[in-house]
Amino acid sequence: MSAAFIECLDVGKIYEGRTGSVEALRGVSLACAEGEFVCLLGLSGCGKSTLLQMIGGLEEPSSGQIVVAGRELSGPSPATAIVFQDHGLFPWMTVAQNVAFNMKARGVGAKQRRERAAEMLALTGLSSFATRYPHELSGGMRQRVGIARALTTKPRALLMDEPFGALDAQTRARLQHELLEIWAAQRTTVLFVTHSIDEAVFLADRILVFTPRPGQLAADVTVDLPRPRTPRSPGFAALAAKLRGLLGTEEGSE
Amino acid sequence: MGRVHRHAVRLTRRFMSASPLGRLTGLLPLIGLILAWQAAVMAQIYPPVLLPAPVRVANAFVLYGGDIVHNTLASLSRVVIGIGLAFVVGVPMGLLIGRFAWLDRLFDWSIQTFRSVPPISLIPMAMLFFGIGDTPAIVLIFLAGLWPLLLNTIFGVRTIERTLLKVAAAAGAGEALILRDIVWPAALPSIFTGLRLAVGGGWLTVVTAEMIAVKSGLGYMILNAQMTFRPELIFAGIIVIGAIGLLADFAVQRLRRIACSWQEGLTVQGR
Repeated sequence: MSAAFIECLDVGKIYEGRTGSVEALRGVSLACAEGEFVCLLGLSGCGKSTLLQMIGGLEEPSSGQIVVAGRELSGPSPATAIVFQDHGLFPWMTVAQNVAFNMKARGVGAKQRRERAAEMLALTGLSSFATRYPHELSGGMRQRVGIARALTTKPRALLMDEPFGALDAQTRARLQHELLEIWAAQRTTVLFVTHSIDEAVFLADRILVFTPRPGQLAADVTVDLPRPRTPRSPGFAALAAKLRGLLGTEEGSE
Repeated sequence: MGRVHRHAVRLTRRFMSASPLGRLTGLLPLIGLILAWQAAVMAQIYPPVLLPAPVRVANAFVLYGGDIVHNTLASLSRVVIGIGLAFVVGVPMGLLIGRFAWLDRLFDWSIQTFRSVPPISLIPMAMLFFGIGDTPAIVLIFLAGLWPLLLNTIFGVRTIERTLLKVAAAAGAGEALILRDIVWPAALPSIFTGLRLAVGGGWLTVVTAEMIAVKSGLGYMILNAQMTFRPELIFAGIIVIGAIGLLADFAVQRLRRIACSWQEGLTVQGR
């Protein structure tokens, strides 16, 4: 654990609002090794997305320290890439332009951009949609574009903020499978925020359970089940039940 | 194949929402007006020297054709220059003010103060500073167009989805790229709303300014027609002003549809 790729030390976040301050996160410490698939699991409003945004360098912690790839964060790290729940695609760009955007932001040359974008479009099964606009795509395909864009810069860690939260169950299951394939092929670290217990058990090597208000790390659960998993895999139901207990008992978490 | 199909769909949609028959209903009130006009002339409500018959006005277009074309071009060129300058100044300013909160704090009160001043009320001052001629007219049109362009651009920048700016920040995008690839296209639909208002306002202003501060253009032509007692030319001038206003609006709308084609099917307006 000494060479953790992502490390949070006693991280807290307090939002100062007009009606007083809200403590979103308190005393979170965690470490994530390179290549690991880690799920941040919690009910909505437990600060898990806030934590992910901070690891992505989009927000600053109010206290504590975050280290990514051996460096304390000050702004987004080039070693990470984020996939957003509402995919964040630019409606005025074609799929190919959207996928190439992160590379453009980093000053990658046009030719290289085109090649790498084509490669990632192929990986995510989007090659024939390269010239379409986002609004012409289904929700699942839009999120594939978001993933393809995140992968273009060869990030060492993929930060995913409830990426499949807005999708229907079937599309969601398909994208989960595809994500595992991509993860296996690319060997990136994945930090994946979700409020779905089944999703966490299906995907993760390790599940970090958060309790709400203020968000605190309640448990660190290693998932030992062999892949591919299904809800009928031995041990799946038992682990899900255990997580349900850890989460507290609000019904909302599927 | 896909492209051909999409093209076909687009054409069908355009035909259905803007079929020639559907479009032409917009002419009915205008035709009604001409008929009422003719009726008023025949009933001799006003003496014919004041209210010329439609035929006489139509004839004026032949009689004074050269004059009308010359003055129309003078007015048009002033509006194109004035609104062009307003665009070049107002849009970049709006993009920056919309993007940076401190610029907004700096300029907001000034903008709100100056935009409440009707450009026409500045005619005397413009004449003092710039004399009589093209310059005062262009300055006034510029001011008439600047505020709607500026305010709508600022508004457009504000409507950008938060996530999109987060994507840019996470990717480490520089400010120039953010302005060019995100802020500008995101604001473009609003900018066109501003342009539409600016062109309308500029056209109103040019006619008024020409009645006072310039010796050419449609406004001058109308005023001159009154003084030389040619009512049919007054009417002809008014018709040209209205028609050009309509065509200019069509042109801006057309341009918007081309520039914001990515919006097609995304918003009600996009159709």
